[in-house]
Amino acid sequence: MDAEATEATQLMTRYCAGDAAAFQALYALLAPRLLGYLFGLLRDRAAAEDMLQLTFLKLHEARGSYVTGANPIPWTYTIAHRTALDELRKRKRARVRLTGDGALPSEPAAHVTGVPVETHQDQADRASPEATRQAVAALDRLPEAQKQALLLTKVHGRSTAEAAMIAGTTPGAIKQRAHRAYLTLRQLLSKDGEPAPRLTKEAP
Amino acid sequence: MKSDELPDGLPPERLAPPAPSAHLMAAVQQMRPVRPRSRLGAFAAVAVAALAVPGWVLASHALRRDLGGLPRGWVIAAAALWAAAFAISLGAALVPARGDVLPAPARGSRAGLSAVLALLVFGLCASVEAPGLSLRPEDVHMSLLGSAGHCARFALLMALPCLAVGLLVLRRLAPMGGARLGLALGAAGGALGGLVLHFICPIATAGHVVLGHVGGMALAAALGAVALPLVRKR
Repeated sequence: MDAEATEATQLMTRYCAGDAAAFQALYALLAPRLLGYLFGLLRDRAAAEDMLQLTFLKLHEARGSYVTGANPIPWTYTIAHRTALDELRKRKRARVRLTGDGALPSEPAAHVTGVPVETHQDQADRASPEATRQAVAALDRLPEAQKQALLLTKVHGRSTAEAAMIAGTTPGAIKQRAHRAYLTLRQLLSKDGEPAPRLTKEAP
Repeated sequence: MKSDELPDGLPPERLAPPAPSAHLMAAVQQMRPVRPRSRLGAFAAVAVAALAVPGWVLASHALRRDLGGLPRGWVIAAAALWAAAFAISLGAALVPARGDVLPAPARGSRAGLSAVLALLVFGLCASVEAPGLSLRPEDVHMSLLGSAGHCARFALLMALPCLAVGLLVLRRLAPMGGARLGLALGAAGGALGGLVLHFICPIATAGHVVLGHVGGMALAAALGAVALPLVRKR
């Protein structure tokens, strides 16, 4: 178990014992990565923040299901994953309100981080806006299961076994989906045989 | 793009979160200590509930008339196989791996399917009859399918307590991969039904055992796979 998992385990144990300060510390430890994951799935910062609150509320209600000494991080991802899936299903069923002339209402443009474009400051170590736009467009075109596998194993560094448990499938299926996601991303991000945009992140 | 690298611009691993909502903090401030569960607690609870009805059936019904004529080693081996199928499938459905909070769906489906397959092969290849004592479907004025259907229904009935209590437990845990875990849970209940049939059903032909006893277990597994996603807590 790594240091972060050990810390999360200790905090969860104290949280179950009724220590509200341990909840605050657990929130500080896990919320940034859960929000990143939820945003990757939902592509909507406000919805991701709502789902984050709901995830922690569900965690609070289910804390009696925690197993003493277990690493709570994959479990919290599972709760977040299920919460996001329920939200995505709701969206599929939802009706969209159109403007008077029958068009979709315009939404304010946002950077991938969810910060409105006009207020977002690109930092030197961030991807170029063009690379971001291409990557986000490509990610959105991936099938949901492939996107989940890619986000869990590569962006969030979960092991294949953990990702399988979070997504409710087999490790083999996760590997296959992540591989297919790569192939699709590579195809989508290379233009007319040119190499894909600069690559930075490495697999764990 | 190499196969283990990602393009720039993908969503970041971490984002600055908002503070916990007032609703969430109110719930946290009012919380009481809870006792975390143990890895084997759910397994023990479901096993006790699942064994009660089959135990009563075995105690109150006459054992199969050919039991004394069958090789003792075979009777013990077959019973051990049905019992192992029950324990392994139930464990896969309910017991998380060391260090995990939830049972792994992949392990559940693997264990449940392996148990059904192992008993199918055993039924096909190692069914034993006691000449003059064991019965055939025609001896009880039934067709093969009729007798198999009768025993499959019985196995399904024996599986219901295991399924019901197990579903209640898993509904609360709300893991992903409900169908896979439900399959393992149903296979466990069906194996218990098969174990009871092993001691009370005198029809010993391979076709009857495979279709009726193992078939009943497969039906229970399918029922579990369908039921858990339907009943899971939202």
